[in-house]
Amino acid sequence: MQKNQRIILYLLILIAGAAWIALSANTTNAAIGKTSAPQAGFSAPDFTLKTPSGEEYTLSKLTGNAVLVNLWATWCPPCRAEMPAIEKMYQEYKDQGFVVLAVNMTYQDDPANVVPFAQKYGLTFPILLEETGDVGAAYQLRSLPSSYFINRAGVIQEVVIGGPMSEALLRTRIEHILK
Amino acid sequence: MILLFIATWIGLTLAEKRTERHGIGKDDLNNITYYTLIAFIIGGRLSFVLQNMPAFIKSPLGIISINPDIFDPLGALAVAFIVAFVYGQRRKLLLWNTLDALTPYFAILAIGIGLSHLAAGTAFGMETDLAWGINLWNATRHPTQIYETLASILIFGLVWFQKQNPRPGILFLTYAALTSASALFIQAFRGDSTMIFNSLRQEQVIAWAALVVIFILFEYQLKEKA
Repeated sequence: MQKNQRIILYLLILIAGAAWIALSANTTNAAIGKTSAPQAGFSAPDFTLKTPSGEEYTLSKLTGNAVLVNLWATWCPPCRAEMPAIEKMYQEYKDQGFVVLAVNMTYQDDPANVVPFAQKYGLTFPILLEETGDVGAAYQLRSLPSSYFINRAGVIQEVVIGGPMSEALLRTRIEHILK
Repeated sequence: MILLFIATWIGLTLAEKRTERHGIGKDDLNNITYYTLIAFIIGGRLSFVLQNMPAFIKSPLGIISINPDIFDPLGALAVAFIVAFVYGQRRKLLLWNTLDALTPYFAILAIGIGLSHLAAGTAFGMETDLAWGINLWNATRHPTQIYETLASILIFGLVWFQKQNPRPGILFLTYAALTSASALFIQAFRGDSTMIFNSLRQEQVIAWAALVVIFILFEYQLKEKA
């Protein structure tokens, strides 16, 4: 192919590319945050659960706060390993509007172990009991622990599957959702 | 991650079969790839730490924690490029010949990336009512991960079965052009694009700019060896 022919080909490709960019310009991606799904960029699936003492928490009512939803179970070693770090970060950031909802997968755990576990680790954030599996299904639970960092607008910013999460990782993620 | 390791292994195996064609030794090909991969992993971790120093000063052991999320992909790429460049300079490897030799590896890796996106549900598509839409994240969406994988397979076929290129660099630039063009096209169906200037997809603009650079390099290479 001669040089002139190649340059014409390049220009045609670039013009077609620019036209495609213009044609596929999209303003609806901003709506992603309004759709609910357990994935970064989406609104966090809402739920209402109770603590062992009967106190009720609804995720959507915490809009305005930065929330960590942590799905866990007492039999899960990395879940146990990261709880002290989560508690430490909760104490450090709660005055800035940081909330932790530690959702115990009670439908696959022994409910009798939950309160002693919280007492053993000195956990002061809400421990919620997921007894039906509905929240696990809404969050498409694949592995324990699973952590969802939700910003003040209720949009998931980060998903961490597995653990244990280190203090440093928690700190970077929490400071991001507190902005 | 497993898919990416498998893709790396397959890609390197295929690239080894044609190293002589490009005047690059198998040992050099393997070494530059492995050093680059190690640099990618370490560089990604260090870059993340440097960008979040206050957090790691308070918790220094976090630097060596096993969390894969403590990773910055762009920083990883930058460090990998630097290490690859330094290795190439020390071994006096010709840049374009080396890139041509690595092209099958890049092509297979792209297939692995597409499959890993599909497995993880990332790089997801816009909502659609087309018959081939997939149910993902509570909606029927364009299967952009499948589009991406199929495009990568097609591009691999085109570069693998291309006759030996007359000029160094042309094989790699052909691969780069095809990949940029497919990215520019497929991005239109993505549901997670970063928007700039109100409605333009950043990734498409970058792919278009990459095509400009690639076309300039095409002419430079063809003129260089004319």
